[in-house]
Amino acid sequence: MTAAAMPTTPVLRSEWIKIRSARSILGSLTAVFGATAGITALTAAAIGTAEEGAMGADPLLAAFYGINFGQIAAIAFGATALAGEFRNGALAVSLTAVPNRTRLYLSKVVVVAGLGFLVGQVTGLVTFVSGQAFMGEYALGLGDPGALRAVFGSGVYLMLMALLSAGLTALVRSGTLVMCLLIPFVLIVPFVVGQLVGGAGRFMPDRAGQAVMRMNAEGSLGPWTGLAVAALWSIVALAAGWFAMRRRDA
Amino acid sequence: MNRIEIRELTKDYGTTRVVDYLTFDVLPGRVTGFLGPNGAGKSTTMRLLLGLVRPTAGTATIAGRRFTDLQDPLRHVGALLDPQAPHGGRTARDHLLILAAANSVPDGRVDAVLEQSGIASAARRRIKTFSLGMRQRLGIAAALLGDPGVLLLDEPTNGLDPEGIIWIRDLMRGLAAEGRTVLVSSHLMSETASFADHLVVLGQGQLLVDTPTAEFIDAHSSRRVRLRTSDADRLRAALAGRGFRLVPAEDGRWTVDGIQAEAVGALAADEGVPLLELSDERSSLEQAYLGLTAGRAEFSAGAA
Repeated sequence: MTAAAMPTTPVLRSEWIKIRSARSILGSLTAVFGATAGITALTAAAIGTAEEGAMGADPLLAAFYGINFGQIAAIAFGATALAGEFRNGALAVSLTAVPNRTRLYLSKVVVVAGLGFLVGQVTGLVTFVSGQAFMGEYALGLGDPGALRAVFGSGVYLMLMALLSAGLTALVRSGTLVMCLLIPFVLIVPFVVGQLVGGAGRFMPDRAGQAVMRMNAEGSLGPWTGLAVAALWSIVALAAGWFAMRRRDA
Repeated sequence: MNRIEIRELTKDYGTTRVVDYLTFDVLPGRVTGFLGPNGAGKSTTMRLLLGLVRPTAGTATIAGRRFTDLQDPLRHVGALLDPQAPHGGRTARDHLLILAAANSVPDGRVDAVLEQSGIASAARRRIKTFSLGMRQRLGIAAALLGDPGVLLLDEPTNGLDPEGIIWIRDLMRGLAAEGRTVLVSSHLMSETASFADHLVVLGQGQLLVDTPTAEFIDAHSSRRVRLRTSDADRLRAALAGRGFRLVPAEDGRWTVDGIQAEAVGALAADEGVPLLELSDERSSLEQAYLGLTAGRAEFSAGAA
């Protein structure tokens, strides 16, 4: 990769305005925070003190209950951020300003990653703190073992889901298609695959990534290895998207 | 110099050759009309020039460089491709800010080109509420953003109202007069001949014509003059003396074949015949164009 392919400040700024100025993209980014923190807090308020383990077997993972919904918003964010380029020849217009496809793609990915990380971190912290506030005697604190790791990891996890979706969108050139595939995938497949094939389900991006939020490791994947497996999925998807972006005519 | 050089440019899609060994130049300081029926390869040639499509063979350069090698390309080349391309959910101003930011074009230019394109009042409206004509104006605003020396406009008059067509015609003439290179595609010969200095005509991806507009008109339009006079008898006699025939046309006008207005005017002046109206007629220009591209259109009525 040459210097001509690296993101530059002007191109990063341009990509940031693209996200900022489209309601659909900004809306899904906001929903990452809203869904994760909101649903966690509401659920905790409703059933958190009912009995131990009411929100899930692993108390630390349960503290991020809303991430099951927030990750759908993260998938939508990654998909909509890329999808705009593949509608009605928009990519051609972008390429008249940034003709190097690698630079255009990398800049977009960097901005999606940066926003995903920032919003993810804020979401992780607010989700944990606000949710635990309703847990009464079962509440965990930031000082409890693994809590800080889970807070940081949940933010990274949300970013990785957005990047997975972004890479796949560049590959298939349709945000709708990616959302139709990924959302059922993270909602249903883990249960099915988890039941059917002994351990394979644990290596799916969502199950593996969520290991970072667990108090007690599930099987062989520790918190950081799990997150690394999820990161690998995202990197493969991004690489596939990059390959497609470089090869195809606009 | 902002010269566009197309050399042996070829593009195949599968077994279909869309652009077939094209070689021509587009020079600065004039408007070059890029003509051909639908599917002749005009848009593909423009997309090849912009590096959007990879050539099968040959090169297309601007000022000696490939488009993809240009630093801040909007400052060198402005392009209008598909008016439907901008994201409908964004405002016109945001769409232009995105392009300006990427090439470090000052934000002030955004407002300037919105003004120049006549859509300043709609700058903060979402693009999905725009008519086709307004989208064309937005596309032209985007093309002008970096104050480029080269403009590539793909069917810019599409969807414009008559006032808009006059506006774009004057704009293109003005840009060429400033020394810029202006390449504008169209499938309408008579419209293009009214503002282009030079014509490049494609048919099935091949170069058919690369000639100044005036020469094309001289070569392809049969000469005919249309006039109105208060003394048809004397004019008829004068013309007959030089071997021309005065033929009655509708609503009291006359036509003379094989002569130009200049000659008729001089003759009438010599003879003292009053002329109330006198003009060259080039009705056959579209015919010449159709004849040229006949059988080279991708889809034509009646073709098997």
